[in-house]
Amino acid sequence: MSTSNVPKAQLAEALASLGPTVSRLSHLSQRSYQNPYTELQVWPAEVRPEQEWFSSPEYLSLYGTEYWERLDEPTRCRLAFHEAANFYSLNIHGEKSLMQGLAERLYRKDLLDVSEYLHHFLDEENKHSIYFGGFCTRYSRVYRSRQFSFEESHDSRPRDIEDFLFFAKTMVFEEIVDNYNWVQSRDSRLHPVARFINHNHHFEESRHLIFGRRLVTALWEACAPSWGEDTVAELRGYLRQYFTASWREYYNPDVYADAGLEDPWEIAERAWSAPAQREHRREVSRKVVGFLISTGILDKEPADAF
Amino acid sequence: MRSEQEIRDSLRSWVLTKAADRDSAAITDQTALFEERYLRSVHLPELLLLLERLRGAPIDVEDLNPGDFRDIDSMVLRFGNAGATP
Repeated sequence: MSTSNVPKAQLAEALASLGPTVSRLSHLSQRSYQNPYTELQVWPAEVRPEQEWFSSPEYLSLYGTEYWERLDEPTRCRLAFHEAANFYSLNIHGEKSLMQGLAERLYRKDLLDVSEYLHHFLDEENKHSIYFGGFCTRYSRVYRSRQFSFEESHDSRPRDIEDFLFFAKTMVFEEIVDNYNWVQSRDSRLHPVARFINHNHHFEESRHLIFGRRLVTALWEACAPSWGEDTVAELRGYLRQYFTASWREYYNPDVYADAGLEDPWEIAERAWSAPAQREHRREVSRKVVGFLISTGILDKEPADAF
Repeated sequence: MRSEQEIRDSLRSWVLTKAADRDSAAITDQTALFEERYLRSVHLPELLLLLERLRGAPIDVEDLNPGDFRDIDSMVLRFGNAGATP
């Protein structure tokens, strides 16, 4: 893969500036090193999807829509259970791509300054997937992802642009997920297993979010001045669409079908367009969009996603 | 069940929302949407969801080929009939 005309020294200096952050986060990761097979000591033999809450109702994809009022309590609860499995599944798929990207970059010559932390990042993402997969395979299923790509999609880009997009997409994905984790880890209505999984993920991801923001800022500041207006405009368009692609996964027709609802694709479309859901997506995305705009990475909010 | 023309119209209309800065008259049912950069890989998940909704049946991503999405004609041929193997 080619590289664009970013001065190497400038990029090296930007990455080296992350040194203290990398050391501090690595130290914290070592201190809270986990064994995912013992941390959650008891998985219940069975769960009761129509009686126990596994997602916060206010964070469900049908909350505030025309459908919500029509659902009785057991159906709302069942929907919350399948949406929990969908949330864990989209994390599994996101982490699979993330682990691939991290492994590819581990000990790459120009990224040596951050390799120490990439080890922890990779290790922790794998452990998160063990929890998510543990829930899905015990009590539900791993929902399929519609995220895919093919080489012929004519997206080939210089390496520095690929690096920037990889870490920027990771940050967007993780910041949205983290809002769900934070809210659901504190929701006393939720089943203890659901609270544990959300709490544990939030606790670990807080380090990744710090790393992500620092690295994305460093890459942007070092590289963007050399990219030219057209490239920057294209990257912005890509990132805005990535918000839409990420959020669409929360409105999964397969989930509605499993919850026993008729015409699941129509439900997904109408829920996506419902004003209450648009506002929910905007509110959950607020922090990461604010960060992207304040750094100049985005010049306007990703309106299509809201 | 949607007619073939309705599926074509929905696809064209969706592509135009994603390529708002391009000349809409230039997009035909044979326009190579990815090759000519009307669409990028980041559009694929949303496109897949739209195709599933239009045909009323799921599509398995593991069985897909790049050619399936080349243009509107290819998508209608591959996914237009819900009875076809996804």
